[in-house]
Amino acid sequence: MAQNVNPLVSASTTDTKTDEETHSHSQDNHSVTKRLQKELMELMINTDKSVSAFPEGESLFKWIGTISGPKGTVYEDLTFKLCLEFPHSYPFSAPVVKFITSIFHPNIDQLGNICLDILKEKWSALYDVRTILLSIQSLLGEPNNDSPMNAQAAVLWPDKVEMRHRVLAEHKKSESQ
Amino acid sequence: MLNSYWLDANMSTDDVWKKICLAFPILADNECSRECPEDNVLEEIKELKLNKCIEDIVICRIEQIMRQKITPDFWSRFSERKTEIGGFERFKDAVDFLYNSFSNFLPMLENLEKFRTISRINRVIYGEETLLGTFKVIVTSTLLSQLPLTHQIITEDFYKVSFKVFCNADKSDVDQDESSEDVVQCGGCSHEIEQCHCQAILLVFHETNRKLIELDLLERLAGEVITTLIHIRIENHVQESCKGSFDTSYISSLESWLSTVVMGWLTHIYNVNAVSTQSSIKKFHQKISHFLYETYTRTRIEQLFNIIIEYPDSQPAVEDLRICLQKTDLRLYLTQKLQRALETRLLHPGVNTPDVLTAYVAAIRALRQLDPTGVLLETVTLPVRHYLRWRDDTVRCVVSSLTEEGPSELADELVRGEALQLDEGAPSDEDMTNWEGWNPDPVDADPSKTSKSRRTSDIISMLVNVYGSKELFVNEYRTLLADRLLSQFTYNTEKEIRYLELLKLRFGESQLHYCEVMLKDVYDSKRINAHLHSDPNFKLDRQQFPSTAMILSAQFWPPFKEETLELPDFVKEHLQIYTKAFETLKGNRTLSWKPHLGSVNIDIELKDRKFNLTVSPIHATIIWHFQTKNQWTVEELSQLMHVPATVLRRKIAFWQSQGMLREISTDSFLLVEESSTRSKCPVPPDMVCEDEETESAMASAHDQREEELQVFWSYIVGMLTNLDLMPLERIHQMLKMFASQGPTAVECSLRELRNFLDRKVREHRLLFSGGFYRLPKS
Repeated sequence: MAQNVNPLVSASTTDTKTDEETHSHSQDNHSVTKRLQKELMELMINTDKSVSAFPEGESLFKWIGTISGPKGTVYEDLTFKLCLEFPHSYPFSAPVVKFITSIFHPNIDQLGNICLDILKEKWSALYDVRTILLSIQSLLGEPNNDSPMNAQAAVLWPDKVEMRHRVLAEHKKSESQ
Repeated sequence: MLNSYWLDANMSTDDVWKKICLAFPILADNECSRECPEDNVLEEIKELKLNKCIEDIVICRIEQIMRQKITPDFWSRFSERKTEIGGFERFKDAVDFLYNSFSNFLPMLENLEKFRTISRINRVIYGEETLLGTFKVIVTSTLLSQLPLTHQIITEDFYKVSFKVFCNADKSDVDQDESSEDVVQCGGCSHEIEQCHCQAILLVFHETNRKLIELDLLERLAGEVITTLIHIRIENHVQESCKGSFDTSYISSLESWLSTVVMGWLTHIYNVNAVSTQSSIKKFHQKISHFLYETYTRTRIEQLFNIIIEYPDSQPAVEDLRICLQKTDLRLYLTQKLQRALETRLLHPGVNTPDVLTAYVAAIRALRQLDPTGVLLETVTLPVRHYLRWRDDTVRCVVSSLTEEGPSELADELVRGEALQLDEGAPSDEDMTNWEGWNPDPVDADPSKTSKSRRTSDIISMLVNVYGSKELFVNEYRTLLADRLLSQFTYNTEKEIRYLELLKLRFGESQLHYCEVMLKDVYDSKRINAHLHSDPNFKLDRQQFPSTAMILSAQFWPPFKEETLELPDFVKEHLQIYTKAFETLKGNRTLSWKPHLGSVNIDIELKDRKFNLTVSPIHATIIWHFQTKNQWTVEELSQLMHVPATVLRRKIAFWQSQGMLREISTDSFLLVEESSTRSKCPVPPDMVCEDEETESAMASAHDQREEELQVFWSYIVGMLTNLDLMPLERIHQMLKMFASQGPTAVECSLRELRNFLDRKVREHRLLFSGGFYRLPKS
């Protein structure tokens, strides 16, 4: 079973689980909430405004993040919105992070899925929301063109002018939506 | 019908008519002749069997005469008059006239009555069985049906004049010797004493009243006027007698006045046949004594605000009011009136908070006496409590007056001791021992509160209850204490310890734990200082100047105002040595200096002057810099000392006032080495510098709140960055969910949040449109 399947959901589907286990899960849940709460507070107090995130609604498990395009890259002066979903096993498994704003980038596909090692096999519990967002921000400036999810972008990457053109067009597209 | 009768009787119509007219001359236009027709005439008419018919005709005729002649004539006498006496005469004339006309009718009525007996008619006309009664009804109704608009003026004149005479007579009984000598005019009739008409007036008055009573017209015609007169009289009397003096009780004197003077007059009006009017006089007495109470109560209620302000002295007035309130139905009026008085006279920015508090305390005491259940107090002072809650310095004022030196009501209250009773508790069990003396709460009581909670007479509890929590009070006390301890720079804490003990009795040990630590800090500092100075290793006592420290435990003191100040290097070295000494004494602990707090004793030597001053470190640093260079600009100093220019200018002003610095051009100051004129520096040596305004070293509650809101602001920016648009309620909800957790949970009401956000909108840090807040595009 994949690690970032919601354990509460699986608990409710499998009848064999005992009450004790569900209880321990809710306790886990509590510690996850606490950790997310703490991360939120740190994020709020931090003065670096190039990355930011906040819970979307009532739940602490789904956040909306905002990053601004790094200076000196084709993404300069643009802001991008992301969606972060935390599994109940967080921080032992990585959150699911996707771009909401459509972006033209070699490692990000049309649906906003990101190809970034720390979100997959290199995830560690030491990462937090802020470091994730900062890594994604730096990914914008330094893509990994060897394993592209958007081949066209990977090809175009060296051509800064054309690249900037496409990025702006893509950004506009999602703004008009 | 008539036809058939006279045909039978074989008589001509004219004959019959003549006969009837003979019996009742009134019908023949000979106005009521006094001759009495012989009995046989009546007998003859009776034979005609026209009894009822004739009676009807006669009554009809009477009515006609009343309507067309007498009544207009009567009322015509009520036309304009020139003086009150004129009015008096006219009224008398009118009544005389009416009475005469009335008497003229009497023989005829007797006749008719006789006729009735002969012909055995028994009928009720206008609700009256006797003809006299019927006649009176006719008179009254015709009179009233033609009532002219101005009739009351004349009636009023009549009674006013007579009442004046009467009162005068009554008064002169009391103080005869005074009035008899130098008064030329008679107080009653305004004639000269020698030609006093009083007696005559009284005679006429009695006569007229007798006539009116006989006519059954007194109530109808004059009742209203008499009542109004009495009411006015009562009002005036009450106003006069209890104007501005609250220190005597008036109820009994007013009552005796009523029963002697006013009732005396009334009996004079009604006295003709005492027995029949007894009950109406009694009724009248009840009515006017109620009116008296009501008037008196209203007067007192009008003055209630002043009564409260003068409270302990105005106790009799309060007691009067208490008795009156039970007899009248004016509670609601009192509440409204007093609330309005409080609002217009007390609850506006022009009144100092201590004054509001004094008034509130007085109100608590006075209203407790007025209404021991406390309901009145609760409802009336509700706006005061709301207002006090809104004032910034309320707590500070209460706390400082609690611990004030010298006579202060609150300090006395504090010494009286008594555990604080806050009304947060659940309905406590009522006192069961005294159940027989139980009384229900008044109707306007708030049923959701226990009556016991209202009955607390403790003023300090009432004041604390303004806020509903002890914490605020304790916090304010803590700030005050911190200020006092830091401004003294002595280690003398005995007095403070005494107050703390008293406060502990009320607020409980746990609440005041912090304060205890603070006092202990001061005490410990003294010990540590002594210890460090005696330690030979550090040679603290052989330094260029001796320094002592107040060592405060940061955890327990209220937050300080953050100010920066760069001290001169040699001072810093000193402090460094002190710190080292402290670190050796107390392992694992160090000192973090607050350079802007404290005091410095400096000697200043100029060419022609010498000073010894005790000033704040910032003052000392400023003047110290002038030692190296005798001219500085504010900006230079500001950079050197890390102090904002505005603060510097204020502090420099002190040295200017001392004649030591002079502003040579804007923001540029020069040291005055020699004072040109002696008179310019009248500063006595060894003067202790009083700072312009004794500032608090503590961060104010306002500043603290600002800081808390700053935390919220970063959350708000965070959520708006990511979620774009949000309405107020959503922001509030989000803050509650995500920002108000953890160790420093801060609450923020929706209203406060709106104010805060609106302020940010004004500062252009937020945009607000269509009910949503968002961040401006950067």
